[in-house]
Amino acid sequence: MNSETLNTLDSYSKNKYKYGFVTDIDNEKPKKGLNEDTIKFISSKKNEPDWMLEWRLKAFSKWKKIKEPKWANLNFPQIDYQDIYYYSAPKGFEKKPKDLSEVDPKLIETYNKLGIPLEEQKVLAGVAVDVVFDSVSVATTYKGELEKLGIIFCSIGEAIQKHPDLIKKYLGSVIPAGDHSFSALNSAVFTDGSFVYIPEGVKCPMELSTYFRINAENTGQFERTLIIADKGSYVSYLEGCTAPKRDDNQLHAANVELIALEDAEIKYSTVQNWYPGDEHGKGGIYNFVTKRGLCAGKNSKISWTQVETGSAITWKYPSCILKGDNSIGEFYSVAITNNFQQADTGTKMTHIGKNTKSKIISKGISLGKSQNTYRGEVSFLRKADKARNYTQCDSLLVGNKCGAHTVPYIDSKNNTAVIEHEASTSKINEDQLYYCRQRGLTHEEAVSLIVNGFCKQVLQELPMEFAVEAQKLVSISLEGSVG
Amino acid sequence: MNIKDNYLKNKKNIFFSENKDIQNHREKLMSIFENDRFDKKNNESLKNTNLKNFIDFKYKYLVPEETSVINNNQKNSYSIVSVNGQCASFKDDKIEITKILDEDYNDFSKNNTIENNDHFVNLNSLFLNSGFKIVIKKNNNIKIKISNIVTDNDLTIFQKNNYICEEGSSLNLIEEYENKNNSSSNILNVIKLEKNSQLNHFLIQDNSPNHNLIITTHSSCKKDSTYNQKVYNFSEGYVRNFHYSELIETNSEADLQGIFFLKDNNTSNNKTFVKHLAEDCKSNQVYKGILNDRSKATYFSNTHVDQVAQKTEGYQLSKGILLSDNASYFSKPELKIYADDVKCSHGSTIGPIDENAIFYLRSRGMSKTAATKILISSFINEELSSIDNEQMSEIIQKKLVRYLSKVK
Repeated sequence: MNSETLNTLDSYSKNKYKYGFVTDIDNEKPKKGLNEDTIKFISSKKNEPDWMLEWRLKAFSKWKKIKEPKWANLNFPQIDYQDIYYYSAPKGFEKKPKDLSEVDPKLIETYNKLGIPLEEQKVLAGVAVDVVFDSVSVATTYKGELEKLGIIFCSIGEAIQKHPDLIKKYLGSVIPAGDHSFSALNSAVFTDGSFVYIPEGVKCPMELSTYFRINAENTGQFERTLIIADKGSYVSYLEGCTAPKRDDNQLHAANVELIALEDAEIKYSTVQNWYPGDEHGKGGIYNFVTKRGLCAGKNSKISWTQVETGSAITWKYPSCILKGDNSIGEFYSVAITNNFQQADTGTKMTHIGKNTKSKIISKGISLGKSQNTYRGEVSFLRKADKARNYTQCDSLLVGNKCGAHTVPYIDSKNNTAVIEHEASTSKINEDQLYYCRQRGLTHEEAVSLIVNGFCKQVLQELPMEFAVEAQKLVSISLEGSVG
Repeated sequence: MNIKDNYLKNKKNIFFSENKDIQNHREKLMSIFENDRFDKKNNESLKNTNLKNFIDFKYKYLVPEETSVINNNQKNSYSIVSVNGQCASFKDDKIEITKILDEDYNDFSKNNTIENNDHFVNLNSLFLNSGFKIVIKKNNNIKIKISNIVTDNDLTIFQKNNYICEEGSSLNLIEEYENKNNSSSNILNVIKLEKNSQLNHFLIQDNSPNHNLIITTHSSCKKDSTYNQKVYNFSEGYVRNFHYSELIETNSEADLQGIFFLKDNNTSNNKTFVKHLAEDCKSNQVYKGILNDRSKATYFSNTHVDQVAQKTEGYQLSKGILLSDNASYFSKPELKIYADDVKCSHGSTIGPIDENAIFYLRSRGMSKTAATKILISSFINEELSSIDNEQMSEIIQKKLVRYLSKVK
């Protein structure tokens, strides 16, 4: 590697987190620590019915019995669950504002700094935004239009009040509370998140989107999302996150459940840019996410797309259970790690039904002293006749202090199913760099171009609104660094 | 019978049981099995293995009466018959065969490439009752064929062999495992390749349904040396092939290949692990499996590239064909890479025989069975045609025909 590469690399890896700022809003918190009182406090704050409290307490009793999963290729200090606030809501927000003018101006300012002004976004992008600031939904837009189609798009708290039947039927049906330690934790203390129900035969006319921010120090954000697509419906859901700069590690354990019934399709896209910690590995978000989709009906389809650039620790495996015959599962991922970031991410495709298909495209880019692991499982159960899987995971290494790892699990119990897996690991091709430089690009531009090309297969799966942001993010993550 | 009782009762048969250091080491190993946290379920490499059968076993060993080494000097070739894991001592100007010594045991127990949780290797160290050491002297080109024979039913062989290829030497090693009785062999081969040496290692496994074979290889390659391994598993009994290779100096190579043919209720566990610890090394791991009836197989492959091992090339490939509804195959091809200037890749496929290919052959007048057989043969043809030893190739063809005769 030439000296210029090293220089740009150096400046890249020193690139600061651009979205690191804190909005000063008074927070109302219970005491630190996790016990039954905390859960009762959360439940009563959210005016929840008794059956919900019971459900939470059950999950809590399960959590006490389960140990944290240890198999991931991650290194972090033991999490002290008693040193975390489990609920924080901006004051005076218990009565929700009816329109944007009622929203705290400081909040609006926060979004402006992030470049996502609600007003503008509402008008220009045609996106209905359900914003989670800390733990309470602040503003919901475009509701009326969605209501006309019978689409329910609200916070999970509201759904518990207004649609208990759907919640009772589906909450925890894909990710049981006792599945593992983080799902149990989330089930016990989740505070907010989104709920989407698309009725039979309805194609949701706009991209549904939520922006999340963690704001209060030491507050874990336990968000729960539930999306149900009834027969023949379609929905595309966007999730994006940025977090303010903080030194203390913040815990994030979200659960996302998707259910696609017959002929339904759900497209779930994520851009994740939580605070990754500084260049010495201090601070950053611990991100333990469980995302799971169930293709329950025939011909259903679930597609996950993710761009992961943030978090000190990422532990995330969006997966699909392909139960219905002819159902399709897709997973597209770009994971970029810099400095001391560690990511262990991938997917799980479980083929149960006949003629089920799945496709996995994963691109990992490691810079600085980071560790980037792809971990994925593809399994064909006995009855998954003619099932098909294609997996491709490529890793790019920039610098000789980082690591790239690939850990696929492939299990076939059916002799008509076909599974193909390929993976490669390499550094940026010097010839390509040379070619770009010769045509007048700076080193940084050249690298950015090559990396964007490397990720293109995944980025093109994102909806338009996101693709632009994601491309910017990829460039920002590389900025000054790329070699 | 539990491990400790087994050990104490049969101490007199077990190698080095008088040596204090080794005894201490064994105490430690025993405590792993006795520990409350001894976890059989969460150990991935034990998938499809019933460890209980191997822990609660009845120890039995017979010291063989006769073993032989035949030297055919003109061809530089030797035939060894190893009986119950033992071999007579032998010495000439090209090779030297001796019993293994305490220091060989100690030397190996310090190596950390094989994880502490490989319980079969731990059992081997605990109950070691046979084994030998072969040294190939400098700049010699040698062929050795070893037939491994177990004389009686219910024997439990725990064998450790050391191979040392001195500078500039080259060894063609053919090992045959063909046993028809109810016994089990747990064999650990420790191979050291000095500068510029080469070892071509063939293992032909063809045991009867009641013979368990657990074979583990650990090879370490110094500068410019090459280790080639080819495993052909036709066994009808349980076989575990775990092969570890360390590339410790520059420009060394390891090539680990295997083919397994399974049928009935048989199980086979396979693992290859290559550790790149120096620059400019190459490795290749290829395993192919054909599974019929209710057979099960696992294959773990792992390429580990250390931070200093720049300019590494490491390739992995695993392919499986499932011939029946009830067969299952689990594969985990893993890459762990800590250096940036590397070319590493892996590929893995599992599936049935290509229907279009069958259709093509059938439309030319072939029966379905004949077409299937042709396609299976072509699936492994690349590996079979690369065998440059005519005699070997013939043996394997015969076994293949025998396997194919059961395919419908």
